[in-house]
Amino acid sequence: MFERIKHIVIKEFIQLFRDKRSVFFLFVTPVIQLMLFGYVATFDVNSISTAFYDLDTSSESRELERQLTSSGYFAVRYRPSSPLEITDLIERGKALCAIQVNSGFSKDLKRGIPTQIQVIIDGTDSNTAMIAMGYVNTIIARYARENSVSPVTPVISTIDFRTRVWYNPDLRSRNYMVPGVVALIIMLTCLIVTSMSVVRERETGTMEQLMVTPIKPMELMLGKTIPSAVIGLFDMSFITFVGVFWFNVPIKGELYFLVLCTAIYLVPVLGIGLFISTISKTPQQAMMASFFFFQPAILLSGFVTPIENMPRIFQYITYANPLRYFLVILRGIFLKGAGIDVLWPQMATLFTIGVVVLVLSALRFTKRLR
Amino acid sequence: MKLARIKAITRKEFIQIRRDPMSLAMAFLLPLILLFIYGYAVTFDVDRITTVVYDMDKSSLSRELINEFTQSGYFTVVSSINRYEDIDPYLDSNKAKVAIVIPHDFSKRVRTRRDTAIEIILDGANSNTANIAQGYIAAIAQRYSQRMSSGPVVPLIDSRSRVWYNTELKSRNFIIPGLIAVIMTVIIALLTSLTIAKEWDRGTMEQLISTPIKPVELVIGKLVPYFVIGFADTVFVILMSTELFGVPLRGSVSLLLILSSIFLFGGLSMGILISIVGRNQAAASQMAMLSSFLPAFLLSGFIFSISNMPGPLQIITYFVPARYFVTILKGIFLKGSSLKYLIWEAVLLTIYGTAVFLLAVKKFKKRID
Amino acid sequence: MVNNEIAVQVSNLRRTFGAFVAVDGISLTVKKGEIFGFLGPNGAGKSTTIRMLCGLLMPTGGSGTVGEFDIIREPEAIKKIIGYMSQKFSLYDDLTVEENINFFGGIYNVPEEQRKKRKEWVLDMARITERRTSLTSVLASGFKQRLALGCAILHEPPIIFLDEPTSGVDPISRRSFWRLIREMADAGTTVFVTTHYMDEADYCDKLALIYRGKIIAEGTPTELRREHMKYDVLELETDKVVEAMETLSKHHIEAAIFGSTLHITVEKAEEDMEKLAALLRESGIELKRCEKIAPSLEDVFVTLIEAS
Repeated sequence: MFERIKHIVIKEFIQLFRDKRSVFFLFVTPVIQLMLFGYVATFDVNSISTAFYDLDTSSESRELERQLTSSGYFAVRYRPSSPLEITDLIERGKALCAIQVNSGFSKDLKRGIPTQIQVIIDGTDSNTAMIAMGYVNTIIARYARENSVSPVTPVISTIDFRTRVWYNPDLRSRNYMVPGVVALIIMLTCLIVTSMSVVRERETGTMEQLMVTPIKPMELMLGKTIPSAVIGLFDMSFITFVGVFWFNVPIKGELYFLVLCTAIYLVPVLGIGLFISTISKTPQQAMMASFFFFQPAILLSGFVTPIENMPRIFQYITYANPLRYFLVILRGIFLKGAGIDVLWPQMATLFTIGVVVLVLSALRFTKRLR
Repeated sequence: MKLARIKAITRKEFIQIRRDPMSLAMAFLLPLILLFIYGYAVTFDVDRITTVVYDMDKSSLSRELINEFTQSGYFTVVSSINRYEDIDPYLDSNKAKVAIVIPHDFSKRVRTRRDTAIEIILDGANSNTANIAQGYIAAIAQRYSQRMSSGPVVPLIDSRSRVWYNTELKSRNFIIPGLIAVIMTVIIALLTSLTIAKEWDRGTMEQLISTPIKPVELVIGKLVPYFVIGFADTVFVILMSTELFGVPLRGSVSLLLILSSIFLFGGLSMGILISIVGRNQAAASQMAMLSSFLPAFLLSGFIFSISNMPGPLQIITYFVPARYFVTILKGIFLKGSSLKYLIWEAVLLTIYGTAVFLLAVKKFKKRID
Repeated sequence: MVNNEIAVQVSNLRRTFGAFVAVDGISLTVKKGEIFGFLGPNGAGKSTTIRMLCGLLMPTGGSGTVGEFDIIREPEAIKKIIGYMSQKFSLYDDLTVEENINFFGGIYNVPEEQRKKRKEWVLDMARITERRTSLTSVLASGFKQRLALGCAILHEPPIIFLDEPTSGVDPISRRSFWRLIREMADAGTTVFVTTHYMDEADYCDKLALIYRGKIIAEGTPTELRREHMKYDVLELETDKVVEAMETLSKHHIEAAIFGSTLHITVEKAEEDMEKLAALLRESGIELKRCEKIAPSLEDVFVTLIEAS
């Protein structure tokens, strides 16, 4: 039995590596994806394009501007000369934020009279807008505190809220994203490799040829999924390597544990790949089905947005998503150094889901072969 | 160029599409599912942040402070703990994302008008949530400070913020217009990237190239039916966005449709080009996946802002057509932009579409080698 | 020969794929209204040649004309005056019979007034008039074959190229197919056919035998046989065919297996018959039967291959 499986695996690898395009897909695409995600996928907000409309032009207003810029969050790129210009800048998307300081600002400040500052924020990108608003308010409030001189408006008891950030002290999105990319790429690659390899044989007629040999369905299945699994593990190692050494993502947990968990993750993924191969008659359908599954799986996994923020119904759906558990595991291993003692629930669930999916797919696969 | 030949190809494609209901259903079902997920599940609105509280003071003042946090709606206290060491397990196991530590002399110091400090610990693993949480905390802090200072106090500097275009800052309004670009890019690629490769695999292409048909006739003939479907799909998605999800459409609908058509033209031509270059279906599908989904999702400004990207990547985004379409969509939906503000994008998309179309025609060789 | 009597002319045609030489310097001439057969085993270079003639593949050497058009410089012009039927009968499986005909009618730009007439003609010729609304995928191979031919000639081209049109088709359909070809040729169409069925050679006006990219014999079926009449063919029937062949080859006598018999080419049948029988008896092989037969084209071919 192992002989036959071995030969199928060898054949698969030969087919995969002989086709230049598939080699590209297997090795270059993950790198590209990793690079893209690592550099692009960030919600970190810096250098927000700002328009500073200064009608006071005093040393105080200039000081306020300086504080805004030196925070790193805002980059004053425009100094408009009229409210109309502000409107135009924001409408064109050139400035995300506009701050208007009225004339009389410094005078009021020195006398301790309350004064107003206008802030306009482009809410199109609500995430950035929310963060920007928070920063603006914080900076202006700090400026107010530092400049309150007169006792007319005493700021009595300052409650200083000190925030400390654990696990990702620089709050780099990258550290959060890159481990997730491992899960993403493994799923994408394995789904396509598994489902395509089966469908292609069916289309060219070689499947029929295989079925008249003494080969058993189980052997064929193993022969088709083992190459995907190997490639998946390879991709995982490769991405981890690049993530740690190129992107400086910390990895606090154990490597062997990472490998173990990846292997568990592969079980449901390969099962899904097999399932897709049973419902697709042509490569086109296989591709569509892979995508059909892949997209929601990513979105409803906590990869981009946290599960806690989703409406209840979607949260329930995520319980069936293997990606959800693997992401917790990945982030735990990379960022928190978590071990089996903390992550065993996720591992167990992942394994159970995987076995169920794999068995169902295998049954369906076997039935279709007859 | 003979109209009869183009018509023959178009009619054949329509018949074949009709006879493949699964792909057709997918073309309309997939956007619907994506819209649902992106519209409802993918949200950047952050609230109900799980919090643990370590109140060493246990006074009415400290309870008031905690109340301030929960009343905001942004924080949900899941547990009160009695030891500093207990914070660790909560954050480690993801049971809480924020911990508030109130010192034992909190109320005393506040009453005697002395400075005091509250410690807040954030789980930074998800930096975005942490960032936003920090913003909330700062706002709540300020509000509490004001309330504690005696008498009605007007802050020295009152910053009045107004938010334009998406005043409730609903992330849905932010996500969905851009999402339309992503959905259409993907659907188009899935539909057209295999159409020519499929004929090569089946052998009908060999037959076709032995006829007098010209490459431009073939490309146009294949474009037309998919354009019809793509356009119907676009209208469908736009309708869903406005009717079902309540995303405001403030600009001109006809401008939206015209610019969408230009984008469709480019995307379809690209799909056909991929189908020509990737001579079999497996290669073509991989190319389509790589060149359509990834750039549209990551590099179009759809979710991740372009201005935050490193320089070289920003330059690359100029070559991603979805980028311009996202700008157009966000502009027309949320800002009510007119053509005046979008002319640059419109022109670029037209150039792109024409260039890819001509490239596809040129690349199609009526030969087997 | 006057130029307007020649339909296809090829001179020293060559085509290589990397290091592999598929077509190695082929020259031939096809007259108008002729049925020209291109015979050879699989991999001999038949399909490659026909594709070069149809403008689907660019030759790596040599030259040729189809009609008055040069195959290297004017392939698109050639496609207007030919009909081509590829080896896989490439019809659209997910289209009905009628839809396929309509499609190719449009592609070949058959004039509107004639379209209906030609369609009915094809349906009738292929005997699928009652099946016009069936999906092509459900048709039996014989019908598919005729439908593919019909689609290739909707525009009544003067020259048609058929690549293995009868492969995988039952013998009865094969025969009626060739009758059809004959009718078309009689009406003036030039037919260039490739096949690996030797028995179909007799349907052709002229033949070229191709082996490993080279033409090893050319002429009418009769000429080819006559050329071979120099030699006689003996048919031997025995129980131990393989051993007999091995024994003979030890004595440098080449024999070819035909079913359960052996065919041997000899100089003089009567003399050699006795010698062979004796030789085999020495090795303990009994001949059940040994007689002289008329050489079939297959015999001719096999001999020629061995000679080359």
